[in-house]
Amino acid sequence: MTAERVFMMGEFAAHFPSDRHYARNHMWAMGTNGQWKFGFTAYAVRLLQDVYFLDWTVDPETTLQEKAEIGSIESKKAESDLYAPIAGTVLRLNDQLLSDPSTINVDKYGDGWLFEMAGVGDNLLSIDEYITHLDAVWEVTQRTIKGQLNE
Amino acid sequence: MAKRITAIVSQGQSQNPAKRQLEEDIVTALVLESGIDVIVVPHLYDLRGDATGMLALQGVKGNMIVLSWLYERAARWILDRNSVSGLTGKSLIQSEDEDDDDVTESIEDTTDRVADARPVPQRRIYCLDLRCDDSAATYIEEVKRIAAENSADVVPLMDWISGDPKPEQLERYLHPTTSPQTPATLPADHDTTISTSESSPDAERHLETPEQRRWYPVIDFSRCTNCMECIDFCLFGVYGVDQAETILVEQPDNCRKGCPACSRVCPENAIIFPQHKTPAIAGAQIAAGSLKIDLSKLFGAPESDESAAQAATRERDEQLVMAGRAPVAPEPASAAAPPATPQVAELPVAKDHLDDLIDELDELDL
Repeated sequence: MTAERVFMMGEFAAHFPSDRHYARNHMWAMGTNGQWKFGFTAYAVRLLQDVYFLDWTVDPETTLQEKAEIGSIESKKAESDLYAPIAGTVLRLNDQLLSDPSTINVDKYGDGWLFEMAGVGDNLLSIDEYITHLDAVWEVTQRTIKGQLNE
Repeated sequence: MAKRITAIVSQGQSQNPAKRQLEEDIVTALVLESGIDVIVVPHLYDLRGDATGMLALQGVKGNMIVLSWLYERAARWILDRNSVSGLTGKSLIQSEDEDDDDVTESIEDTTDRVADARPVPQRRIYCLDLRCDDSAATYIEEVKRIAAENSADVVPLMDWISGDPKPEQLERYLHPTTSPQTPATLPADHDTTISTSESSPDAERHLETPEQRRWYPVIDFSRCTNCMECIDFCLFGVYGVDQAETILVEQPDNCRKGCPACSRVCPENAIIFPQHKTPAIAGAQIAAGSLKIDLSKLFGAPESDESAAQAATRERDEQLVMAGRAPVAPEPASAAAPPATPQVAELPVAKDHLDDLIDELDELDL
């Protein structure tokens, strides 16, 4: 078993393997030679829960700015647009997820990967930096959820 | 003799088990009803004009009820562009509060709309949005109500439609003009001889072919004034005009996935992108609130307060750059596109699912 870190989301323990990088938008990144494979972290999957629908608004070979919109996701509890974690070119989208997005829940750090991009990963975080990032954003996350409930 | 009616269930793209179950429950119940033919097709928007499912719908002669995971307007005009048109049937199930239907509105409206000049087949199409209610019973009851309403209908013309016209008569009837809405990329539409062989009574036909997800604009001709803003704005050759110089979506597959820019510049809000996240763009009469929590901000959505026109120009330029072309240089203010009707922002409001969400928050120990 790969070493991992844990972040407590309230009572829920979210696990993060230490063999990869992380993006601020709660995706993990596995990279070699400027090619990165991305997927959702346990933090994102916990917020989403059962994923029902995923759609990409970009095609492979599309070149993107960081934070460009790339698709959308709908789950049992939430919906969101998805954004490019780094600037670069889309190499591959996990099209298997279109027909069976539940793989994101079943194997988020493996077969539930989302897409591959070629690009510079300088803005990606180490696992320690990501855990620090989670400490900082957990408050905001809770406020976001509560705030929307109050509307 | 009681008239038959066809109920079409268009399957959603989502694997949400509740949604699949709802479709299944409706189909199972309707198949048992006498006087109702049931056809199951993949997601309407993804169907090409020559797809088996769409051909089946084109072959339906009488009144039809379309149940889909789309706003009524989106479903109606997707069908229309595939030469499946008719009068707007009024359902008691509605996505949102509507004062009246489009037909009545256009009477009060002095603006010339493209649809005003087009003959409409005298049969009714009822579009029901499956997102309105979680209960299959609601839809089953409504379909039965509509079926009963129509079987009591005694408009002579309807008898003719329910009769047995020759294929060429029907063709002329369903395509009264030069089929201006038939996309040029789908020549099969023009050549299609509409099948007169009816399915056996109460047959349930499943027409499930795996569909690629598509992305293209759908024009609501009851709103469109043929102003040509869209064809001027889009630089990807999606739009064209027919022999009568009326706008049409000529090359739908030239459209840039995810880009709703032309919809934002349309002064009449006549351009629908049924899969867009903003209800006003996806075909809602008014913006409807989302029932779920929107996590976009947490997942990296940029902050933005740009206008619809600015958003449209930005979106188009992004697509131009992606396609390896140069973005358009800023135009002088006088030549700039007139401001589109502002899109009402999405309001992520938790409503019916509030209880679930609160339960969830408790679990999260917030």
